[in-house]
Amino acid sequence: MNDYCLIYEKTDAAKYISHLDFVRVMGRMMRRASVPVAFSEGFNPHPLLVFALPLSVGYTSGCELMEFRLAEYMPPDEVESRLRASAPAGINVLSVREGKSRMKKLRYALYRVTPERLPASADGFLARKETVVDKKTKSGVKDTDIRSDIISIGLADGHIDMTLSAGSEHNLKPDVVMKAMNKYIDGYDSGDCEYHRAAIYDENMEEIK
Amino acid sequence: MSTVNIDRLLKRVQKPTRYCGGELNSVIKNPADVKIRYAFAFPDTYEVGMSHLGIKILYHCLNLRPDVYCERVFAPWIDMEEEMRREGVPLFSIETRTPVSEFDFLGVTLQYEMSYTNILNMLDLAGIPLLSRDRGEDCPFVNAGGPCAYNPEPLAGIFDFFTMGEGEEVIGELMDAYNEWKAEGGRRIDYLKKIAKIEGIYVPCLYDVEYNPDGTLKSMTPNCPEAKPRVRKRIIEKLDEVVFPDKFIVPFMDIVHDRVSLEVFRGCIRGCRFCQAGMIYRPVREKSPDCLVRDAVNLIGSTGYEELSLSSLSTSDYTRFAELADRLLEFTEKEKVSLSLPSLRVDNFGLGLMERVQKVRKSGLTFAPEAGSQRMRDVINKNVTEDDLMQSVGLAFDGGWITVKLYFMIGLPYETDDDIAGIARLAEKVVERYYSSEKTNKRRSPSVNISVAGFVPKPFTPFQWAEQNSPETLRRKQQLLKDEIHNRHIKYSYHQSDVSVLEGVFARGDRRLCDVLVRAFELGCKLDGWSECFDMEKWRRAFLDCGVSMDFYTRERGADELFPWDFVDIGVTKEFLAAENERASRAETTPNCRQKCSNCGAASLCEDGKCSVYAEESSLRAVREMRKA
Repeated sequence: MNDYCLIYEKTDAAKYISHLDFVRVMGRMMRRASVPVAFSEGFNPHPLLVFALPLSVGYTSGCELMEFRLAEYMPPDEVESRLRASAPAGINVLSVREGKSRMKKLRYALYRVTPERLPASADGFLARKETVVDKKTKSGVKDTDIRSDIISIGLADGHIDMTLSAGSEHNLKPDVVMKAMNKYIDGYDSGDCEYHRAAIYDENMEEIK
Repeated sequence: MSTVNIDRLLKRVQKPTRYCGGELNSVIKNPADVKIRYAFAFPDTYEVGMSHLGIKILYHCLNLRPDVYCERVFAPWIDMEEEMRREGVPLFSIETRTPVSEFDFLGVTLQYEMSYTNILNMLDLAGIPLLSRDRGEDCPFVNAGGPCAYNPEPLAGIFDFFTMGEGEEVIGELMDAYNEWKAEGGRRIDYLKKIAKIEGIYVPCLYDVEYNPDGTLKSMTPNCPEAKPRVRKRIIEKLDEVVFPDKFIVPFMDIVHDRVSLEVFRGCIRGCRFCQAGMIYRPVREKSPDCLVRDAVNLIGSTGYEELSLSSLSTSDYTRFAELADRLLEFTEKEKVSLSLPSLRVDNFGLGLMERVQKVRKSGLTFAPEAGSQRMRDVINKNVTEDDLMQSVGLAFDGGWITVKLYFMIGLPYETDDDIAGIARLAEKVVERYYSSEKTNKRRSPSVNISVAGFVPKPFTPFQWAEQNSPETLRRKQQLLKDEIHNRHIKYSYHQSDVSVLEGVFARGDRRLCDVLVRAFELGCKLDGWSECFDMEKWRRAFLDCGVSMDFYTRERGADELFPWDFVDIGVTKEFLAAENERASRAETTPNCRQKCSNCGAASLCEDGKCSVYAEESSLRAVREMRKA
């Protein structure tokens, strides 16, 4: 099977594309590139593209991962250069490799949050016994304790770097963490935040790329 | 030169890709490098406006010129408008986020009457005075074109000028005139007088209007030598030779028509008497299959779209349709692109093609008999018989389709209650056709959906003299039809009648409606095409406040009445339209343009005074032979 994996950045205007729209954007990029992508069977054939971890609207990322299959073999260098030439603004192709990625092993993600104001410290926040916020889940908005999904939080240079659970079983988004910090850190008001996904990791905290 | 910062706003609104720009194939120029900045506005939301082919064509035409930079502008959705007003962000262009007030031109396309309040809202958001007479020397020239511009009068006070007809050539002439005018150092009015001499351009402030005591139009006369007494629409005679984009902008979001759309021809041979498009776009002019296949290959290659669609008023009437379909399918099947063929006639040929195109999925087929009785179909010159429909529906049912949708109109001129009941009878016959056939699967049951719209008389149609039914009358007719339907396989739906009334008032309106429009805007009317925003009470109040009666505009018009749109020459003559109305009253049909020329007048628009319909005669014969074989 001609499986490939693509790593790309999502920045600028592209950060506003919702995941559903993004699937179509990438399909069209494949067609423009004349990369012979394999299609699903059925009434409505669609290109076989698999995305690692949907990115929220407004987030940028430097480590997006997409797997796809080609109907016939093409050298990965060739695929890479064709995709790079066909990508719309805001989608930067970083690499194309042959074979499947370790997408299924994804457990954690590192986010860089840029708020208008930093808190003095995150220590007290991390030491709390209970960190409950209303969080959107499949069954509606629920009060959820998010503490166990926060692996680490570090403050530096106007940013908050946070490593959080990611993937299909436990997933926590940094905007929810910011909501909790605003709620629990006395007198803290972050203001508007920028969110950037910087890396994704497997269960051994090894970077997937 | 300035730009607006909307990054903060984009975080707070739904669907930020409506506003963020940066889409593939959008044109990026340095504004400092051009002489003319043109803001092309579609007075509705991004996803509606970006689906429109005309905007893509003119955007391309203008941006081909090195001295012009054309950018897009759309109406913000309610959430974005609130944010913009709160933060003091003016209406801006998508490409460079430049305030619209800083452009040299603001061009608006008029696709439907219910977008008129959006235009005012957009002008207000841009900080441009709503009325032409209030605009200063450094305001952009606010102008309009598109189908609704054929009766520009309800907007006469708002726009500085209008373009009648097809824009590909005239828009360049307007740009050239602008450069000349700049070089001459004239005033605003000098530019308007200059372009009033260009064929197809209408400058409302150069005309005076008088009314009769009964409120009807008495006269409309030019008040300066530059203005022409009659303004003749522009057409492109040879569509193969006119520029067509080799790239379409590919939006990030899912828009209404998200695909490559190819225009196969302009005009229509049919001559349905209710249809404005069928008259104003005459004469029929086709693109060649060579040209269309080339455009298809270019556009799929440059956009990556997964769908290709053919656009025209009646695709089956394209003379070399079989050849075109074959050649396009050869390409689309190879590239895994789906081909959609709207407004296709259902006959053996059409159905075979649909099966090939749609492969397995048999979703539903749509037919537009428009009227229920044969008498009424003859009145409207819809040259479809009950046998035709039964044959088409039969083919579809036997071919495995179980859902058909039928479009009808009520409130048509010369209509009786029996004609309305005929809609129910026809729908029942369609259901019976399913059960009487041996080839249909009786374990499944057919579904016949009838969709009924209230008729709106439009200018430049044989029914431009007709009375428009009041909402009360329409409601009575809707109920009458409902009572006639006794079959559980028939689903019946109808359109909101309040919107139709307003549409009719503005379609056949005059200059006095400007005040009503401004008042409606002040009362908060906007996005009237969206049912969640439409508020008839506000509209009623606006008419009341201005002392203008809707009934005056929906009434039956006198045979000799001068219409506000009579000064526009669309090629088709008023005499022809009147004769057609006469024939309608006697339920007499008129042959289509290929069967026999009825001398509608449109041929006068062609250079040699000859309509291209006849030039296509030889290829038509070839098609007939091919279909037989």
